[in-house]
Amino acid sequence: MLPIELYAGIESAWCPGCGNFVLLKAFKQALGELEIRPQGILVVSGIGQSAKFPHYLQCNTFNGIHGRALPVGTGARLANPDLKVVCATGDGDCYGEGGNHLLAAIRRNVDMTVVVHNNQVYALTKGQASPTTGQGVKTTLQPQGVPYPPLAALALAVSLGCSWVARGSATAPEHLKELYKQAITHRGLALLEVLQPCVTFNRVNTYQWYKERAYRVTETPDYDPENELWAYRKAKEWGERIPIGVIYRHSRPILEETHPALAAGPLVRQQPKRPLNQLLADFF
Amino acid sequence: MSIDLNILIGGAAGQGVHSITLPLAKALMRQGCWVLTSQSYQSRIRGGHLFNQVRLSDRRLVSSREGVDLLLALNQETVTMHQGELSPRGFIIYDAAEVKEVPASVPSLGLSPESLLPGAKERAEIAVNAGACGAVLGLLQAPLDSMLALLQESFGDKGAEVVEWNVQAATKGYEAGAAQKYGLSLSGISPPPEPRLLISGHEAMALGALGGGLQFISGYPMTPWTSLFNAIAQRSGRYNVLVEQAEDEIAAINLAIGASYTGARSLTGTSGGGFCLMTEGLGLASMTETPLVIVNSMRPGPSTGLPTRTSQGDLAFVLYASQDDSPRAVLAPGTPAQGYALAAKALNLADRYQLPVFLLTDQYFADTQFTHLPGEFPEVEVDRALAGGPGSGTYERYAYTENGISPRRLPGFGPELVVADSDEHTPDGHLTEDLQVRIKMHDKRLRKLKTMVQELGGITTSGDPAAPLTLVCWGSSQGPVQEAVERLQAGGTPARMVHLSELWPLPAGAVTAALEGTKKLVVAEMNANGQLNRLLRQETGLQADHLVLKYDGAPFTPEYILRELSNVA
Repeated sequence: MLPIELYAGIESAWCPGCGNFVLLKAFKQALGELEIRPQGILVVSGIGQSAKFPHYLQCNTFNGIHGRALPVGTGARLANPDLKVVCATGDGDCYGEGGNHLLAAIRRNVDMTVVVHNNQVYALTKGQASPTTGQGVKTTLQPQGVPYPPLAALALAVSLGCSWVARGSATAPEHLKELYKQAITHRGLALLEVLQPCVTFNRVNTYQWYKERAYRVTETPDYDPENELWAYRKAKEWGERIPIGVIYRHSRPILEETHPALAAGPLVRQQPKRPLNQLLADFF
Repeated sequence: MSIDLNILIGGAAGQGVHSITLPLAKALMRQGCWVLTSQSYQSRIRGGHLFNQVRLSDRRLVSSREGVDLLLALNQETVTMHQGELSPRGFIIYDAAEVKEVPASVPSLGLSPESLLPGAKERAEIAVNAGACGAVLGLLQAPLDSMLALLQESFGDKGAEVVEWNVQAATKGYEAGAAQKYGLSLSGISPPPEPRLLISGHEAMALGALGGGLQFISGYPMTPWTSLFNAIAQRSGRYNVLVEQAEDEIAAINLAIGASYTGARSLTGTSGGGFCLMTEGLGLASMTETPLVIVNSMRPGPSTGLPTRTSQGDLAFVLYASQDDSPRAVLAPGTPAQGYALAAKALNLADRYQLPVFLLTDQYFADTQFTHLPGEFPEVEVDRALAGGPGSGTYERYAYTENGISPRRLPGFGPELVVADSDEHTPDGHLTEDLQVRIKMHDKRLRKLKTMVQELGGITTSGDPAAPLTLVCWGSSQGPVQEAVERLQAGGTPARMVHLSELWPLPAGAVTAALEGTKKLVVAEMNANGQLNRLLRQETGLQADHLVLKYDGAPFTPEYILRELSNVA
């Protein structure tokens, strides 16, 4: 067990009461309990309030651009599989701007954790609809209400064969910490969506709203997370009851195993010495 | 003796134009000729019209040219389209099963598949392809041995029977060719003392990138960039290069940025339309100071444009793409040997200056094969430019320095944490809105270019160094311009070429010096507005008296340049 002070970052610019504080603390506790030193972890982020996450930690950080955390994380992980790679993204970042990368990352099954801070709103740009905003919710850009249903991203992930799919909630911090630990130690792509109240721009999906609906999926009598069809049905469940916990997990070869270039160890530890004669012979 | 022969091989896509070109060109090269091949093709898999040219000489060739001496026609369309280009010593060799009409005024030889290789119809393609190669060699009185050896090399893995069919057809074709009378003989040419390479621009760049220590390549297929991606991917197993095909060009550049951030030597590439998607990634690499090599293999645009044709229309795009002033370097090779050297140099510059480095190529450069000597591909240096020794604990990824270069460390290699940010950031990598920090950090990044330009040059000259007429060009235009200058000189007009391959940051002092004494400045480039000319004016104050431009999608030829010059002179 490492102390969470080890992971203290710079001063936060999040609003007081922001759900992100719960995620940050749970994540630090998870790292401490897993005894992962700051040097051994890389947190990649994009744009949005979630993107500030690595700055408020002590860790290797790559804060890139909107929607692109996943390809950066994948490239980093392929070049150096000694690093634990976590992408801190949001509903806009990962499900909107970066949607194509989510599909590809799930198919690749790189050994990486993708955390989606889902506050169901665009907070950084001050309150427009995100891909997970509820149908009919009114915003500055949708004064008549959002005309279409939210993206069921976890069901999408299950249908694509994502090797680990779970939902956590800022209303259940201890449970969330355990999910972080499982996600980080899962071998393959782990998609963890976290219900994260936005206290400034989302007056619908509040702490209270989530608290009333979130229930532990592991406690359901038919809990069967290795069954794809069961998992799909659970992943689609949204409304009066919202399942939190591991919804789907199964074992698949990871991308790192399929690349022969990594058989000799991480690329970043290899010294590419290529005799000129051999190279030239290859082009005659 | 001076030999300069141009062979045009044409047919529909899928008929075997390439299957004739490569063995024929290689056989002629091994026989001692200097060979240069070029390709012209359409955006389709079957049908249409495509043609390759094989130019050969007893002297070094740097460019393709106009005029056809031997027309090798696999279909009627090839004859119809190209008979007007035939020179006074024009000769047509054709597939008699496909071509029904050849001009009576031109000597010709029809090859019937049945007579070359009697038997099954499915062998007809083998018969015509190998037979045509044999017929050209017979016609030119060149020995057949190199061709037979090449057929063994090419088809050995398909079994002895396939090799035998090819040998039989080539031999028959050779006999038919040798029975013709043709005014030019290669019998005086002898094989070179050391083997030479027939290598395209993109193959040479693959060689340079591999020699330069490339470890990671990501990309999305797009013509003409794909040939470089292929050339590296096909050899990746032998050299431990990790190849990842991305879901789109946005992912391609971000994958490479992630790999480079952690410390792998990385390259991504595309063509113009794909680079539109990469521009946000370009700014990201520039802002996070992540080393990266980006290949943009240009084709005519805007938008989809002419997918399989050639262009130098993206110079302005890569100079200015991305928000605000973001440092990058731009290199553009003129020959395969230079492509080799610059691919390795780009990897070193990216690491030394921690920024994106462009390699600008195009379809003509990508596909055109030059004859090179192995010695023209010397050992290259691999300079990772990483901070050595133990760090001081708290590490500033973006420490302010006089030359703008902050010592670079890699994540996971020591006690230091490496914090990179696309937001404006403090020296330790964290986001900031301190406007004084913004100025200092922006200046630091831009200082790197002032440091880098001191080691740039990349100026190649030819012709009379004191000539008042100077033709300036860049990238793949080198060959046609160089040959145009040679012809001017041979015709008594003093002229010189100044070719620029290191375009940004432009070494303005060296360029100005190279142009000294010029009375008439001509800039020749493959775009409609003279993009290099604008850069030249911006950086040196000099500008062209005349522009020689071409943007129809077909490459420059020496003849085209000379015609344009005669119009403006």
